[in-house]
Formats: sequence, C-alpha cells, structure tokens
Amino acid sequence: MNVYQYQHVMAGRNVLPAHCRCVDNATYINKCSETVLSHSGMVLIFSWLATLLMLLMSMNAEAVPAFARQTGQNCLACHAGGQFPELTPYGRMFKLTGYTIGERTVPLSVMGVFTANKVKVNDPAAGHTQDGTLTFNTGSLFLAGKIMDKAGVFAQITYNNYAGDTGFSGHTGSDNLDLRYADRLINKKTDLIYGVTLHNNPGVQDVWNSAPAWGYGVVPGSTGTGAPVTPMLDGGLAQQVAGAGAYVYWNQSVYAELTGYRTGNGVFSFMTQGNGVQTIIKGTNPYLRLALTHAWGAHNAMIGVSHLDVQQYPDPTNLSTPTDRYRDNSVDFQYQYLLDPHTVTATLTRIHETVDYGTPGALADTVDSFRGKASYVYKAKYGATISYFDVSSSLNGFTSPTGLSGNRGWTPEIFWTPMQYIRLGVQYTLFNKVNGVSSNTDGAGRKASDDNTLMFYVWGAY
Amino acid sequence: MNTVTIGLVLALTTIAAGCTTTDSSRNLADAGVPGKALAQQVCSICHGADGNSTNPTFPKLAGQQESYLIGQLTDFRSHGRSDPAGSEYMWGISRHLTDVQIQQLAAYFAQQQPIADTSANAKLEADGKAIFMNGLANQNVPACETCHGAKGEGNASFPRIAGQHADYIAKQLRVFKDTEMRPKGAVMKVITHDLAPDEIQAVAAYVSTISR
Repeated sequence: MNVYQYQHVMAGRNVLPAHCRCVDNATYINKCSETVLSHSGMVLIFSWLATLLMLLMSMNAEAVPAFARQTGQNCLACHAGGQFPELTPYGRMFKLTGYTIGERTVPLSVMGVFTANKVKVNDPAAGHTQDGTLTFNTGSLFLAGKIMDKAGVFAQITYNNYAGDTGFSGHTGSDNLDLRYADRLINKKTDLIYGVTLHNNPGVQDVWNSAPAWGYGVVPGSTGTGAPVTPMLDGGLAQQVAGAGAYVYWNQSVYAELTGYRTGNGVFSFMTQGNGVQTIIKGTNPYLRLALTHAWGAHNAMIGVSHLDVQQYPDPTNLSTPTDRYRDNSVDFQYQYLLDPHTVTATLTRIHETVDYGTPGALADTVDSFRGKASYVYKAKYGATISYFDVSSSLNGFTSPTGLSGNRGWTPEIFWTPMQYIRLGVQYTLFNKVNGVSSNTDGAGRKASDDNTLMFYVWGAY
Repeated sequence: MNTVTIGLVLALTTIAAGCTTTDSSRNLADAGVPGKALAQQVCSICHGADGNSTNPTFPKLAGQQESYLIGQLTDFRSHGRSDPAGSEYMWGISRHLTDVQIQQLAAYFAQQQPIADTSANAKLEADGKAIFMNGLANQNVPACETCHGAKGEGNASFPRIAGQHADYIAKQLRVFKDTEMRPKGAVMKVITHDLAPDEIQAVAAYVSTISR
C-alpha cells in the first residue's frame, strides 16, 4: 500500500472500497487509481510525454506551463512565492474568472515527480520504496487554459506508479478537473464575479489553499504508513463524482458557492476514468461554501466555512441497500504576506464529519480532522514549511488494531526552487500518534515514531 | 430531454452568449477589446479598478501622467524595461497590446483619483521631505521636486510619484541605482548614485504620504 492506498474503512461491511481516501499530510494530487496499465501502455505513455516535452521545449522561451504561456507571466504571478499550487490573489482571480485572462495558446503542460522515501522502520504492510530509492512517482498531462472568451479549463490526467497495492505497476486515470465559465461586472464601486463550474472533486474548485484538495503539499507523499481515516471532504470523492456549481465573488470580499454532486458515471465518466471501482452516491448531493476575504497592504486573509452532505451506497454493486450519510462541516482560514523578497503563507483547516449508517441499528460515527501549515519563501527560491495534522474518528463502523483512533504528527520541510519549473525538497514526517497511541500501534509492538518518514522529491513541470 | 441534456444546452448557450461582447473580455491579444475593458477586467486585479493598488508590489496608477504610462507600457511590450516587477508581471500582459489600447489604458488610469498612504513614521518622513525638497548637496543629489514637482505630481516628462507605495518607490530607486534595467530612466542613475539605503527609505516614506 502507499500514499494512494485505499482505506477499507468499513471493515466487514464494504465489499469494495467505497470510500477511497488519501492518507497522509503531503498529498496534492488526490487520487486513488486502480486501473492497471500494461507494460506496453506505460511505454506508450512515456513516449507520448517525451514527445510532447520535446515539442514544448522547441517552442519559445516563454513556453512554460500552459497558464504561464497564456498570460506570458512568471509562475509567481499566480503562485505564492512560486509555491505550486498555492495561489496569490491574482491567481485566485485568474481561476475565478474562468482561466480566461490572456490569450488562447497551446493548452498543454506536463508535470513529473520523483521521490525517495525512507521510513524509520520498514513496514512490510505499507507500500514501496521505504528504503530511500529515488523513484518516479507520478507524471501528469494537463489540458489547461482559455477555451472561449469567458470559459476555460484545468484538466489533469495522471500516471501514478504507486496506485497499485503491489509492485511497480503503473496506473493512469483522470485527475483533478475544473471546467468553468465566468463573467465579471466591474466599475469603480462594484465588482461582481459570477460563474459556473463543472468539476470532479469537492474542493478542487476552491481558490484557497486551506481546501483539502489543494492544501497539503506540492508532491504526493510517502509510503502510506500511519494512514488515518479522513473525512469525505478530504478526498473521499476525488475523481469519483461530477459536480455542477455556481458561485459569486462580490467586491473581492464575499465568496459564495452552491454545488451539487452526482455519481461520475454515464456522460460524466470521462471525469472519473481510471480511478477504480466507481463510487455510487444517491441523487444530487449538496455542497455549500462561504468565505470572507480581506486584503490590506501586502497582507490578505480568508476565513470560510463549507458543508458537504453525501449519501453513498456502501456497496456500489448493490443499490438496493440503504445509503450511508456523510455530513461534513469545515472551518478554514488562510493568511498570506506577499512582498518581494518575502512570502509568508499559513492555512488552518478543521473538518468535522458525522457518518450515519443506513444499516438499521448501526451506531453513527464521527471523524475529526485538523490540519495547519505555515510556509516562508525567500526570493521565491528558498523555502521552509511546517505542517501539523491531527485526525481521529470514533470506532463504531471504523476499526483500529488498538481499539483507539487518532493520528497526529508534524511535517517540517525545506525546499529550493532553482528555476520556476523545478523544485527540490526534503520533508520529514514525525508521527506522535498512530491509531491513537504512540507505542504498539499495530498490536505487534510497532511504535508511532517507527512510521517517521524522510522524503526527498524533485518536482518539475513544463 | 433529460435534466442533464437541458443543463448542458443551457450552459453552452450561456457560454456562447458570453462570447459575443468585447466590453468585458479578458483577451489580451484581441485588438478589438477596449482599453477600459482591459483595465477593469485584468489590470484592476493588481492595480485596483480605481488605480489605487493594495499590495505595494504593484504601483498605484491613479492620476499618473498619461505620457508616462504610455511610455512604460510601450517599454514593457518591447522588453525595454526589465526590472523583476516589470518582466515577471508586465511583459506578458503587454505583449500584444496595440498602441490604441495602450493609449486608452493610460487615459483610464490617468483620470482616476489617487489616494496617498497615511503617515506611519513622522521622523522618517520628515527626513525624506528634506531630501525631496532640498536634495543632498554634498552627495550631488538634487531635490526631487525639481523634476517631479513640488507636490510630486509629475508632468509630461517626469512621472507622478506622490502617494506611491513606499516599498515600490524604494525598490525602483534601487533598480535605478544598482542596475541597467530601466535605460530610459538613466537620468535617475546619476541622481541616486550616492543615495544611502536609509535615505532611500526616508524619501520613499515621504513620497508615499504626499496627498495631492
């Protein structure tokens, strides 16, 4: 198992992994692919990416990731201190106005991530490359940019070496997707952005980094050790659903959004392909988002709330059973200070989930997640981040080998961005608690600190 | 027709309808988009719809001399100005602007009402005012007001600096002093040659508070 492992959280109840969850604190590309690609398929994809890379490299010096080509601007115009994917106020407006600023251009980009993981004490039950070997982790192809004057797209297909449960098999599937149309009514006194979005991951449409879909780091994380149960809003429906939503952003102060999610099958299956057995949810499931923002001098801040209400069939092959109902409420906060040569960013995200099971007599569960992250970047080149996670749940439908729940720890990280398309970093995740305890976390003598993981990564995009 | 089909038809109709006007377009490569539309749809994100930016990374453009704005946008477009703030943000924005759009953009921001910063450090600003009004004779630094006007308002040949963000003024003074990135501002290289860092901070602090 690994960072994209499935959480069979309903042990004894789920025949199939209905609730696919990302499992550590350093996950940007939320996905849980399961489609195994053949060896020839892998070669084909590599060849394709290499050809595309050469094609792009043969273009002019501004031929950088698609959005930068579209605007002609440096990545740091949209990404705080050059930290992908964290957005500056301008980057947020670029997204809210439908990815349409600039001009139509070749809407393609590629991204690759190499990682080396070293787990303090190797856990044979959890994933690969725990010995520090530098390994190709994920590669993505982006279709991103202005489509029409007021409509644009961000769509990602990801090849993930670690999507499988065993071996070095490659898995490819739809990743984050956000298609939107937006318009802006503005004069000196009023500024109203309104738009519609079609996307495949609750929160991926958000423009703040405190949304779980974007919040936890630049690269896929480590090995899957210390994997907690996480709320549905934290990737539980990623690339499994189709969401159609409408939003407004008034006077750059108030953001409000209403989105409905349906199962991503049928006409919407292009948004969920290659991501394992299709999760089935009942009808249209609402998501509400409200955020207040304010900017002063070089500072800007956001405080927001969101609510997700999902009815999911525990067994997607049997729709005659009652659904389980997941109700998530979150409060999140983001702060940024952006003035060359300094970039400071901080996020806090608190999610509380209630799970009411459809099975008569089954006791309800709760899941609580708290994450915080603070970063400093100097001259958009040298950066340091510290993040904290504390995730726990009740144990009625969920199980734990210790009879307790709760994962808690820290991840300090330093990174270097020698040029805007390449980033190298080292992070160390320290587990204070796994399965609610610091020692004997698996019932066989393993300590929480045995899961501590050192990770080195090289991230590149073009 | 099921709900999904109706929704898709409505969405496509809405999108198509939005494609027919240039008055609210964000297309930077369409010569038909009026300068005012670009100013409000794109430039305003960093510089403010009224030209008074919030973040000091981005200069205030409100009330700026029209001729200066035309010169700067033309310079960005031709890569004649290459300081980081210019190249990282403005080269791309300006690369396909037409002369007409540049003139319209300049006119739009020149007509806006500038808002100065409030006083934050009286001692520093007083030191800056002395340099602004009198220069530093023993360092061959002339008074800023000689060219930029007694109130920093500028004229056809020199830019308005009154009310500009202190951080932006200080950074640009260092660009003039230490680099060749703004060749059309070469006159400032001589003027800033002997300015010490604390003197740059002082004069920038004062300039940011000039309200007219």
